[in-house]
Amino acid sequence: MKSFLSFCFLLLVTLVSAISSTGDRLLAVLDDVAEKAGYSKFLGDLESRGFKITYETPKSESLSLFHLGERKYDHVIFFPTKAKGLGPNLTPNLLLQFLNQKGNILLTLSSGTPAATSLVSLLSELDIALPSERTGLVVDHFNHDVVSAADAHDVLLLPVPRPARDDVSDLFAAGAPADTPIAFPRGAGVLLGPGPLLTPIVRAPATAYLYNPKEQAEAVAADELFGAGAQLALVAGAQARNSARLAVVGSAEMLSDKWFDAKVTKVGEKKEVPTYNREFAKRIAGWAFQEIGVLRVNWVEHRLNEAVVGANVSNPEMYRIKNDVTYTISLSQYSWDKWTGFTVPANDDLQLEFSMLSPFHRLHLSPDPAHSTPEATAYTVSFTLPDQHGIFNFKVNYKRPLLTNIEEKNTVSVRHMAHDEWPRSYVISGAWPWIAGIGATVTAWLAFVVVWLFSRPAGERVVLKKTQ
Amino acid sequence: MHFSKSFLSAALLLAAGIADAASAWSFDEGTVSVVSKQGGDGLKEKLNAKKPLSKPLTFGSSDTIKIALTAKDNGKGKRPHQAFVVLKDVDSGLEAPFPLTTKDTGKAVGQISQKDIPVQLLLATKPLQASVVIASFGSAQGLNTHLFDLAVQLDPNAPAPAYEKPVRYSKQPEIHHIFKADPKSPPRIISLVFALAVLATVPALFLGWFSLGANIDHLSTAFGKAPLSHTAFLGSIVAMEFVFFLYYSTWNLFQVLPVIAIVGAVTVLSGTKALGEVQARRLAGQR
Repeated sequence: MKSFLSFCFLLLVTLVSAISSTGDRLLAVLDDVAEKAGYSKFLGDLESRGFKITYETPKSESLSLFHLGERKYDHVIFFPTKAKGLGPNLTPNLLLQFLNQKGNILLTLSSGTPAATSLVSLLSELDIALPSERTGLVVDHFNHDVVSAADAHDVLLLPVPRPARDDVSDLFAAGAPADTPIAFPRGAGVLLGPGPLLTPIVRAPATAYLYNPKEQAEAVAADELFGAGAQLALVAGAQARNSARLAVVGSAEMLSDKWFDAKVTKVGEKKEVPTYNREFAKRIAGWAFQEIGVLRVNWVEHRLNEAVVGANVSNPEMYRIKNDVTYTISLSQYSWDKWTGFTVPANDDLQLEFSMLSPFHRLHLSPDPAHSTPEATAYTVSFTLPDQHGIFNFKVNYKRPLLTNIEEKNTVSVRHMAHDEWPRSYVISGAWPWIAGIGATVTAWLAFVVVWLFSRPAGERVVLKKTQ
Repeated sequence: MHFSKSFLSAALLLAAGIADAASAWSFDEGTVSVVSKQGGDGLKEKLNAKKPLSKPLTFGSSDTIKIALTAKDNGKGKRPHQAFVVLKDVDSGLEAPFPLTTKDTGKAVGQISQKDIPVQLLLATKPLQASVVIASFGSAQGLNTHLFDLAVQLDPNAPAPAYEKPVRYSKQPEIHHIFKADPKSPPRIISLVFALAVLATVPALFLGWFSLGANIDHLSTAFGKAPLSHTAFLGSIVAMEFVFFLYYSTWNLFQVLPVIAIVGAVTVLSGTKALGEVQARRLAGQR
């Protein structure tokens, strides 16, 4: 009976986790609900992955992100809206509160419609900057689609986005077919601040630049250039400290049905190639809505690694200085619909810190196949505790771009040596003269006592005569 | 077959080249000059779209780089939408664009002083690579070519611009705790020699005592007069030393204290009798 119940529970868990790792309630905000027909494939893909989508317009009375202080939705997607503001239900403050409660936001821009002020404020709160006119058009005279934008050059063809650093996991381009560009039609770009929470996912090519078609139609004045080249982020991600995610997609059009199926041709080539947009749209929505790049700590164990009594106790509260200990942590990664073992990206490193205020040890954790399963990978390290007593933490602080922040802290006391845990003095060769001294003193004392008790006066006393 | 294929592609390429040449951006009358604030006659070099300048230009702290050129679309002066001079740090790949001010005739001018250049590029170790991007809407092919190199010389009298790398989440250098060194003993032979020297003092002491006439001749007298108290007194003194030995080897303080109390009491009680006997001998003049 019990096993049957637990089986049912497991089944329930797998059914529930057949979608995003954090929830399936998705709110789509559009100007007009009829607009969703243009994104039917993108939204259909989301629905087929298990999301329950609610469509609302900003004007709707019933729209609210919270009910009795709890989130009503797990994820929100904003399509471009013409209204300047988004009304009292979507103020920047509420959107930030939504992020603070671990809600995720996918935000799309468009060169045709300026972003709502509420979204601009939200982005500036996260140190993501839009041009002052709230939109702009990114063009590239060298990397555009010659089929659809032979003159306007505003449909950019971008290579599939590889990570900028070689130690970042390749979530968006892994497994992509060669030579399928991403079409980025009539989009805007953003500038990212220097913070570590922001990650550019797609950066503009070196020759691309953003301008305002209304005011800079003739030329871009020297001091009015908002951004050009790789500093312009066309698609960017922000992950808060609580791992809530916000993705900014510069061009809403790239998610539309039209560009999922479009054939494009690069400058200087004749060949028509399909776009990577559908797969990229799936992955960027999957990243924003916690379907990929999500990490979980299953368990942590630290124990004494010495052949003494009590060595097989898990997670003891106290150790002694210079004890040999083993630390193991089990990590899983969510991949679309299931938990899998987490493999640290090449060139990256999972590290354990043993710290009191500052780390005393920072060590590489290596995979431990003996404790790993297909759903979880264990990482382990054995080391000697420092020769310093105090309150210490076993700390795994694994914060990486695009991956869930992991900060796992286990506090232990490290005591000093007890008086009977030192080596005995006869083991220490330097102590031998002192031990011999004690032995000599004891022997002489006993002999003195015997002599003093039983000695007979020896012959005549020697009397010293006074010399006159 | 192979030959004909490559020939065909070469022909195609050539055709493409001709088609491109029919509408492509280029520039004319391009000059770059380094104007010094001190009013000295600056350096002026002609720019060539085909070939960059062979020597890097020296760019002092108070100098201004002036670039002037006439953009041409297919040989005719025309205003391009994009006319940027891009400075690039070869090592890091960082780029900074500087748009030129353009006129309808295609004349484009721009000037760069050191305060316009981002600090990351100012601190570059190699000369900056300056290239020009001239392009616009329509079918004309854009121009993106390397023009010259720029060796930035910072003002030696002013403090160097400070640049702090932004925080990036990544792996950090490993730390291995450096343990204090274990206590060390001198060579065993030295310890052994000194231990033996200390032990040798005991026979030396006994020899000294015997040479001065120490003896235990009264042993039988004493034991004859007070056998029990002498046995107990001597035995308790030896037992006390044995208790100290046990304390050193295995016992703890709380095991030692009651035993010391018992042994001490025996010493005191038997000692009065035993020492009384010794006093009696002294009063009898036997000591």
